[in-house]
Amino acid sequence: MSHSTRCAACKSLRRRCTKDCVLAPYFPPTNPQRFACVHKIFGASNITKMLEQLPLHLRAVAADCMSFEASSRVEDPVYGSVGIISQLQEQIIEAQSELVKTKSEIAFHNAQQQL
Amino acid sequence: MGGSSPCASCKLLRRRCAKDCIFAPYFPSDDPHKFAIVHKVFGASNVSKMLQELPVHQRADAVSSLVYEANARVRDPVYGCVGAISFLQNQVSQLEMQLAVAQAEILCIQMQQEPNLPTHQIDQVDKSFLLSTNNFDNNNIPQYLSFASSSNVIQDPLKRESLWT
Repeated sequence: MSHSTRCAACKSLRRRCTKDCVLAPYFPPTNPQRFACVHKIFGASNITKMLEQLPLHLRAVAADCMSFEASSRVEDPVYGSVGIISQLQEQIIEAQSELVKTKSEIAFHNAQQQL
Repeated sequence: MGGSSPCASCKLLRRRCAKDCIFAPYFPSDDPHKFAIVHKVFGASNVSKMLQELPVHQRADAVSSLVYEANARVRDPVYGCVGAISFLQNQVSQLEMQLAVAQAEILCIQMQQEPNLPTHQIDQVDKSFLLSTNNFDNNNIPQYLSFASSSNVIQDPLKRESLWT
């Protein structure tokens, strides 16, 4: 008696999961939350369209990235992953400023030593 | 006063633009591309639901970030925004390394200037230096990204600098 397991997408959408289901390789039934997130933000048909437009060897990475973006948006409904970009940009500015300050301290000490 | 022109969303969706249209304040009719791209990536009904769940004063920012993400995903259908995040994380790591080297140099200079410093105090100085190098908190960046940025496949994000500049 065979009872094939539907992928998380087909389970959620209450449809039959065919052998050539586009979403099945990237949304396993063991992680329903991953598909739920992506479906909430992008929608199943948008995800399917976006993955179908990509060559097979790039779809796993694309699905992971979309999953990350979707969960970022669920966690931060205003800024999503753009909030993370802003945070990183601020960290870079802080680090650059600290580096300039430290390097000028070094230059000052070196200049003093030469006197 | 005659009927006002429909917003970009209602124009694209070919429907009547009601007075309380949720899209109208953020998708004016003179910028059809803005809604088109958000609709393409997220879908109008998803965007509507997301905006409805937010207080009014946060919706403009939400729309801006959705437009940014949608543009990123159209320009880079594989990595989208994650490409920029990966690139920036690498920059932060490189700067942290440079900062650690510079701070070590400062420490050496300070130790040279205090030759009479007792040994146990030198050990304590070393420890506080090690603690202070963890200045930048990446706690909320998931492990996926640090894994992905080290894999061969993710060499591309380094070229995606133009995405967000």
